[in-house]
Amino acid sequence: MNDRNTDTGIGAAVLRKEDRRFITGFGRYTDDINEVGQCHAVFLRSPYARADIGEIDVSAPLEMDGVIAILTGRDMAADGLGDLPCGWSVKSKDGSDMISAPHPPLASERVNYVGEPYGVVLAETRQAARDAAEAVATDFGELEAVVVLKTATSSEAIHEAVPQNRCYLWELGDEQATDAAFQNAAHVVTLELTNNRIIPNAIEPRAALATHNPASDEITLYTTSQNPHLARLILSAFVGLSPEHKLRLIAPDVGGGFGSKIFVYPEETTVAWAARRIARPVKWAADRSESFLTDAHGRDHLSRVELALDADGQFLGLRVRTTANLGAYLSLFAASVPTYLYGTLLAGQYRTPAIHVEVEGVYTNTVPVDAVRGAGRPEATYVVERIVEVAARQLGIDPVELRRRNMIQPDQFPYQTPVALVYDTGNYQASLDRALDAIDYGGFPARRAASEAAGKKRGLGFACYIEACGLAPSQLAISLGAGVGLYESGEVRVNPTGSVTVFTGSHSHGQGHETTFAQIVSDRLGVPFDDVEVVHGDTGRVEFGLGTYGSRSVAVGGSALVVAADKVIAKGKLIAAHMLKADPAAIDFESGEFSVRDSNQSLSFGEVAFAAYVPADYPEDLEPGLSEKAFYDPENFTFPAGTHIAEVEIDPQTGVTEVVAFVAVDDFGEVINPMIVEGQVHGGIAQGIGQALLEHGVYDDQGQLITGSYMDYCMPRADDLPDFDVDTTITPCTHNPLGVKGCGEAGAIGSPAAVMNAITDALGTEEITMPATSEKVWRICRGD
Amino acid sequence: MRYAAPTTTREAAALIAKAKGRAFVLAGGTDLLVRMKIGTIEPELVVDIKRIPATQSITKSATGFRIGAGVPTAAMGENNALKKAWPGVVEAANLIGSDQIQNRCTIVGNLCNASPAADSVPALIAAGAKAAIVGPRGRRTVAVDKIVTGPGTTSLKKGEFIEAITLPRPPPRSGDAYLRFIPRTEMDIAVVGAGVSLTLGPNGVVKKARVTLGAVAPTVVLVPAAARAITGTRLEDVALAKLAAACEAACNPIDDMRGTIEYRTEVAGVLARRAAKIAYQRAGGN
Repeated sequence: MNDRNTDTGIGAAVLRKEDRRFITGFGRYTDDINEVGQCHAVFLRSPYARADIGEIDVSAPLEMDGVIAILTGRDMAADGLGDLPCGWSVKSKDGSDMISAPHPPLASERVNYVGEPYGVVLAETRQAARDAAEAVATDFGELEAVVVLKTATSSEAIHEAVPQNRCYLWELGDEQATDAAFQNAAHVVTLELTNNRIIPNAIEPRAALATHNPASDEITLYTTSQNPHLARLILSAFVGLSPEHKLRLIAPDVGGGFGSKIFVYPEETTVAWAARRIARPVKWAADRSESFLTDAHGRDHLSRVELALDADGQFLGLRVRTTANLGAYLSLFAASVPTYLYGTLLAGQYRTPAIHVEVEGVYTNTVPVDAVRGAGRPEATYVVERIVEVAARQLGIDPVELRRRNMIQPDQFPYQTPVALVYDTGNYQASLDRALDAIDYGGFPARRAASEAAGKKRGLGFACYIEACGLAPSQLAISLGAGVGLYESGEVRVNPTGSVTVFTGSHSHGQGHETTFAQIVSDRLGVPFDDVEVVHGDTGRVEFGLGTYGSRSVAVGGSALVVAADKVIAKGKLIAAHMLKADPAAIDFESGEFSVRDSNQSLSFGEVAFAAYVPADYPEDLEPGLSEKAFYDPENFTFPAGTHIAEVEIDPQTGVTEVVAFVAVDDFGEVINPMIVEGQVHGGIAQGIGQALLEHGVYDDQGQLITGSYMDYCMPRADDLPDFDVDTTITPCTHNPLGVKGCGEAGAIGSPAAVMNAITDALGTEEITMPATSEKVWRICRGD
Repeated sequence: MRYAAPTTTREAAALIAKAKGRAFVLAGGTDLLVRMKIGTIEPELVVDIKRIPATQSITKSATGFRIGAGVPTAAMGENNALKKAWPGVVEAANLIGSDQIQNRCTIVGNLCNASPAADSVPALIAAGAKAAIVGPRGRRTVAVDKIVTGPGTTSLKKGEFIEAITLPRPPPRSGDAYLRFIPRTEMDIAVVGAGVSLTLGPNGVVKKARVTLGAVAPTVVLVPAAARAITGTRLEDVALAKLAAACEAACNPIDDMRGTIEYRTEVAGVLARRAAKIAYQRAGGN
């Protein structure tokens, strides 16, 4: 590491550069941007969960003031636009391909969830568009909806092409070995689990603003995307909106995503198409109700879990059968979330020798379900850490002791799990020990007794989680069905005055990349932190990128910048050698200085940068300029891991559950900016506690979303949460140049299991599902 | 829509009385503006009463307190005399919405919005508050529990509005309290609310009590049977059990995903017991 930059270099808690504009109101979000002549889009949405679309009468609304056009799915189909694809294809256990239901951006014949768009009104003002949308008379032939996950495969087929509504029946692991393990088991512990449906609720609802330039035939689409290059690729290659070089996507400041802005949605697609069709810039900004109805939801699993143990409490086998709700259509990552991002994590931190998992991916008449913060890994952690806790209770073994007996030991890495992954490094005992100290495990019995004396119930719960981050080694991902590689690009462009502009294919929508990445490059090149500017989120400025999700930005995007920076140093050495009339092999670079080894001759980074652009007497083989690009493809996933402990106190008379303490000790490998890391962990824990205690996306039996507002969908707030006690242990990642693993999702992965283990500990029953609302807890307390 | 901001009560009453369409009084606006923006009401006339001096102050007199209809609840929380006399009322008023809302919202607005779940209303009724009404035929004073007649409806006649709420001066050895249950800890609408006001006699025995419940019936309910259950007691367990039973018997709640009938009913009893204990302590009982 660079000595000169200890206050801004790697490891320093630098205040976030971007916060200056955010807290002074100078953030520039999609809806802040306006184009001359823009009009406003309001979507025609299905009021039914499943219906045939009959005649759409737009004659009256077309006469209304300010209405420019009303376009429907039939117009879009006539223009030849293609379906929205799923980017990941999964095979069933019998070798057959998953069945992907056609997903036109605007429905033309049938709608399959409440809120599905089948048309768009374009008008001079948002209000005029809204009024006109209400005046559109559409004949719907309502059909029976398939809403209940448990019975979806025995219900009528939603899509003609998908018998039994089954998209796939996927498996991973050795079924025979697992069956054998169960036959030899001294104990078998069984648990039925529900992972509740959650709605992501980014603070900025989705928005889009598209302009078509008739002179260049280029479409520019500003939109709330976590991965603008991937969105452009899909809109071009699959939807056929426009050739890739005639399509520019800009994701300016984006107010949170949590996964929901990875995907290519109907609305953004429609806005871009409509702008060209009516030759006017078109803007759309979702209101909060539209976010609830149409942002991809998360989780929604039903699982049966069985753990086989020997007489000493050693895990012998784990068998998991999961039904995963995919919603009405496959969203962009939907197929992979309950399979490759879930089944592969079922070894957890343990040496379970035999694991077999089967996942049935099922269509229902609900909004598509896709990745939400953690994406598959919170579900896996919930399965593993709930059954381990229950096993400890049933066997009468301390839950910490049972985990210790089964944990992978620090000297066993690299560790091949029975579910495909190879963990490169870790020290699970270290984070567990640190967390036990922080929660004062020894003092818990006294705290519990004090609660009981006050008429309260107290419980403690653990989650020792593992996640696979830094998505992903391209070769592995593509062999498993990914439609693209999962490398990342980076460019380090040194300006003639020595300042640096960094271009990254990662995208920041709250994560603080403009700070973290500047720290990395500043540290590597020895240039001042304030001289490094990070550019992201614009396909017109950044060469390529795969975006931000799966805690991949630093591990993959940051690594790409390191490689590019190293290329800059290598080129700089050639220039310095030329200027100092030395052998390039004799040039050293350290702390922003190029020097000739064993001499007092040196040049500053700025002098070399200037010379790169003012090549007075360059030899033929030395190109001017100092700008380098890199594509970094990771060798493996990274494996952040840690221990989360929740302590809860319950008021049995009202069922009110208070999380009184929460400890998270995480191993993220090397840490670039500890303040940003801590913030990421805090946010993740808040979301996980929200899922465990409060949040639940509910459809009624007609397929109407009955939690479509903040009155009925209960988000956690600061005073629902304790002060978090957050710490890190470090085993550096072995295969990327920064030694980093990623920290964006860990909080949401560990916390639901920890909280539910604490609640079930307090209540003395496993019979409670997330969210553990006051009323559910109250019913258990009174013995219902 | 017309907007008027008169400076006298009489002028305001005349404007409202003469309105051809629907007229609404604007104080904090935290309910009215929201309903206007989402289009559930389309007023012909909005009368802003905040420029009428009589609506803008909290005054203390020998007989008690007068809280103007334009006084934000945050200002109630800053009035030490009021807080000392009626801590339960002030706490209830400052459970409405968030800090930002409390800088605008008023207890008269909370009352006239006529929600069964209004937080300040159970505490006001328990405290024996009265509404000072101004109308085309002059002034009248009505107990707060006679104002709301059902969800969204009041007994105010055309042209009438409430200029202020009055609270009596509490007798010595009195205390009040309000508790509510919500799925979260703030910024939500009560699933159950319970208000208790009581006065102790010699030896710490409850001499007089009023018990109210919110969000468990179409209007806030005064529960005389619950008051009787603790009158003449020192809130012994038996008395508290009778109080809870009386409260449960008075419940007629809705059943929704925020709380079932069963849950709202039983929690009403729990909250009433706890509120009674707090009020008792505040009255100097132990």
